[in-house]
Amino acid sequence: MEVNYEFDHSWETELMDRYENDGPWGKWELYQLAVEMEKRLVIPEFEGLQAPKHLVNVNPLPHQLETARQVVEKMNGKAILADEVGLGKTIEAGLILKEYMIRGLAKKVLILVPASLVSQWVAELNQKFHIPAVGQKKSYMWEQYDCIVSSIDTAKRSPHRDIIYKQQYDMVIIDEAHKLKNPNTKNYEFVQGLKKKFCLLLTATPIQNRVEEIFHLVSLLKPGHLGSETNFSKKYKKRDRHVKEDEHLKQLVNKVMIRNRRINTGLEWTKRRVETVLIDFSKEEREMYDALKILRIAHDGYSYAGFSLLTLQREACSSREAVFVTLKNLLKKAEQPSPALEEAVTKIIKKIEAIKTNSKAEKALELIQSIQDKVIIFTEYRATQLYLQWFLKQNGITSVPFRGGFKRGKKDWMRQLFENHAQVLIATEAGGEGINLQFCHHMINFDLPWNPMRLEQRIGRVHRLGQEKDVHIYNFATKKTVEEHILQLLYEKIHLFERVIGELDDILTCLEFGKLEDHLLDVFQNSQSEGEMKIKMENLTQMIEFAETLRKQEEDADAARRNTSIS
Amino acid sequence: MLQEEIHQYLERFFEANGCTFIENGPGWMTVQLTVELDKALMNRPFYWSYLEKTGGIPNPMSVTFITDKEKAPESIKGEAIHFGSPRLNQIFRTAKQFARYIRLYEDIKPQQKQAPLYPWLSMNLKISYRCDLKKDVFRSIGLNLIHGTLAENFQDILEQRNLTPKIPDNCFTLTPIIMPKSAVRRIENYVRQGLAKETHEWAEEAVIRWQQDLNLLDHFYEDMEELPESYEIEKQALKEQYEPKITVEVVNGGLFYLKDALI
Repeated sequence: MEVNYEFDHSWETELMDRYENDGPWGKWELYQLAVEMEKRLVIPEFEGLQAPKHLVNVNPLPHQLETARQVVEKMNGKAILADEVGLGKTIEAGLILKEYMIRGLAKKVLILVPASLVSQWVAELNQKFHIPAVGQKKSYMWEQYDCIVSSIDTAKRSPHRDIIYKQQYDMVIIDEAHKLKNPNTKNYEFVQGLKKKFCLLLTATPIQNRVEEIFHLVSLLKPGHLGSETNFSKKYKKRDRHVKEDEHLKQLVNKVMIRNRRINTGLEWTKRRVETVLIDFSKEEREMYDALKILRIAHDGYSYAGFSLLTLQREACSSREAVFVTLKNLLKKAEQPSPALEEAVTKIIKKIEAIKTNSKAEKALELIQSIQDKVIIFTEYRATQLYLQWFLKQNGITSVPFRGGFKRGKKDWMRQLFENHAQVLIATEAGGEGINLQFCHHMINFDLPWNPMRLEQRIGRVHRLGQEKDVHIYNFATKKTVEEHILQLLYEKIHLFERVIGELDDILTCLEFGKLEDHLLDVFQNSQSEGEMKIKMENLTQMIEFAETLRKQEEDADAARRNTSIS
Repeated sequence: MLQEEIHQYLERFFEANGCTFIENGPGWMTVQLTVELDKALMNRPFYWSYLEKTGGIPNPMSVTFITDKEKAPESIKGEAIHFGSPRLNQIFRTAKQFARYIRLYEDIKPQQKQAPLYPWLSMNLKISYRCDLKKDVFRSIGLNLIHGTLAENFQDILEQRNLTPKIPDNCFTLTPIIMPKSAVRRIENYVRQGLAKETHEWAEEAVIRWQQDLNLLDHFYEDMEELPESYEIEKQALKEQYEPKITVEVVNGGLFYLKDALI
C-alpha cells in the first residue's frame, strides 16, 4: 500500500547557506553525541512500552504496566480505566500519556479532573512522569501551554469553552468520569465537543445503577461502539433480555474498558475492619423522628417540592440541624403553605427545640477520644457537618471541614491542615471524591448513603495503595429507624463493606435491576406499614441474592469452559 | 542507558563545549558552564539581556549533577540526572542544535605529495512510521559528490576514521560535481524508493482500524436525519489518529572529505 510521505526540507536550505559561507560548522564530538542519543531514543517497535525506561521516580506495578500496554497496543489509545478505587488509575494514565509523548504522538493534552485534584495531578505528572503539566489559572493558558490540568466546571464555562474548542487535542484525560453518564448534562455535551485523538476516561464505578450508563460513557470515547442509542435500548433495556446478549455486551465493553480488581492484582492489601455501631435515640430525638410522620397526613403526597418524608427521616438520623434546614426550605418553597402544613412544621420544630443532645455525636466523640488518632467523619448533610465541627470544638477536638464546593486551593489547604494539625476531617458526600488520605485509617460513616458505590468512594479515600495499616470503618446507624433498615439490607445482607466494589456493581447490572435507589424509595416511602416494608425489603434482598447466584453460575461455567479449552 | 554511561555522556558533552570541571567524582560532577552553555541550559534570558545592555562582566553559573546517588557522597547537593529526565533531554537537544551541520576532513599523512580527498555528503535520518502507533528507524546515508555512489551506515564508517576540522597538510579536496542540494535530493529519492518497496502491513492494519471506527461512527448516527457537528469532529479526529504516514527528519549531516573514492 502507498503511504503518505513527508521529508523535512528545512535542513538542506541552511546546509547550502553554510556551504557557501564556509560555515559555521559543528564539532565532531557533539555531532556524535547527538547521533548516539538519537539512536537510543529511536522507538524500534510499534508494540511495547518505552515509558518505563524513562521513569525512575515511579515504579509501576505489574497490573499498571499491563494496562498501559493494552491501551496502547489493543485499544488504540481510547479506553475507560476502571480499576477499583485505590489501584492507581492515575499512574496508569500517566504511563499511557508518557508513552504517547515519548513516541511523539501526543503533545497537546487536556486533563479534566475534580477541582480538588488539580494540584495533585499537576504534582504527580511533573514529579513522577516529568510531564510539564500546569494547572489552568488564566484563560490565555489554554493556548500557550501544551499540557493543562483543569476542572471541568471551569473548562466548560465561557470564555474558556470557546478557546478550548479551537484547540486540537492529541489526548484528553478525564478523571472521575462517572459524572459523565448523563448525556443531557452540560458536562457531557462539553466533552462531546472536544477535538481529541486519544482519550482516557477514569472511573472506579463505570456502572452505578443502570446499564445505559456504560453506553453513554463508551459513546464519548468511541461513538457507535455500542451502537446507536435506540438500538442499544432495544437490545439491552428489555426486561427479558437474553444472557447471550449480555455476554456480547460484556465483550464489547471489554474492548474499551480495563478493570483491575484488588483480588487479581496479587498485592497485599491491608484489611478492612468494619464495625456497626448502633445508637439509641434519646427520648426527645425519638419524638422528633416520630413526629415527622404527621407531615404525610398534613400534606397528602407533599413530595411535590422535592422533599420526601424519607429524606427527612434520614436527616433526623443525622442531626436535628439537618431536619431544621430542610423544613425551612420546605415552607419557603411552598410559598403559600396550607395551614395544616404550617401547623405540622411548627409542631416538629417544637420537637426539634426540645432536643438537648445528639446521641450519634456523643458516640462519635467517645470513639474519637478512644482512638487518639486521625479520623474522617463522613456525613451527607452540610448542616450536620457544621454542627459536628462546633460540637467537637466544644469538646476540645480540632477538626477541619471538607466539601466539594471548596476551591482548589482551599481543598489542598484543608487536607494539609488535617494531615499536620487537626485530628478530625469532616467531609460531606461531594467532598468524598478525589482526595487521598492514606495517612488516616479510621473512618466514621455518620450516616449511610443509599448508593453503595458512593460508600466505596468514601472508603477508597483511605483504603488504597499506600495504606500501610488496617482500615477501621465504623458505620453509625440509629436503632429502629429507616437507617437500621438500610444497614440491614445493604450493608449486612450483602456484606458490602468487606467485599470489593467490583462484585457489587456486577451483581446490580446482572439483572435488569433498575435503579437501586428507586427500589429503596419504593420500599421506604410507599409502604403503609412496618410489615409491608419488611416484606418488600426481603424481596429486594432476594433479588440481589438471586442475581448473585446467577452470576456465580456464569462464572463457574466460564471457568469450566476455560479449563476444557486448555486441556 | 546506564548511570555510568550518562556520566560519560555528560563529561563528553561539557568537554566538547569547553567547560571546565570544578569537581568530577564517581557519581557526580560540578561543571563551570561557558556563557554559551549557560544561555542554552540555564533559562535566564533576562540576566543575559540585562548584562548585554549594561555591559557587565558575564558570570556563567556552575552546576552540580548527580549521576549516581549510591556513589556520590551524601553531602553533595545537585540535580539528579537519569535517562528520561528533562535535563538530559535538554542537553541532548542542545547537542543536536549545536551540531546539525558539520564539515570534516580525514586526517591522513600522505606518502607522496598532494593526496586527494573525496567529498561525501552524509545525512543521519530518523524515519518515523506513524498512525495511532509509531516506530522509528535510524539511518545514516552517505553520497559521494563526485560520482553519486551511495553508502549505508555511513556514520559507523566515519566513526572509525580520524577526522579533523582543518584540511591536513599535503592534501587537497576534489570539488564536488554533484552540488550538496541535489545530493540531498538524491538521498531523499533513494530513501523514498526504498520505502515504496516496503509492504507496509502496519499501514494496512491502521486503515482497517480506522475504517472500523468510521463504521461504528456512522452506525452511531444512523438514526439521525441531520448529522450534528460532533459527527464531523469525531470523523476528523479519527483521520488524525489513524491515517498512516511516514515522516523523515534530518538529525544532522554535513560534508566529509575522505581518502576513499568508494566505500
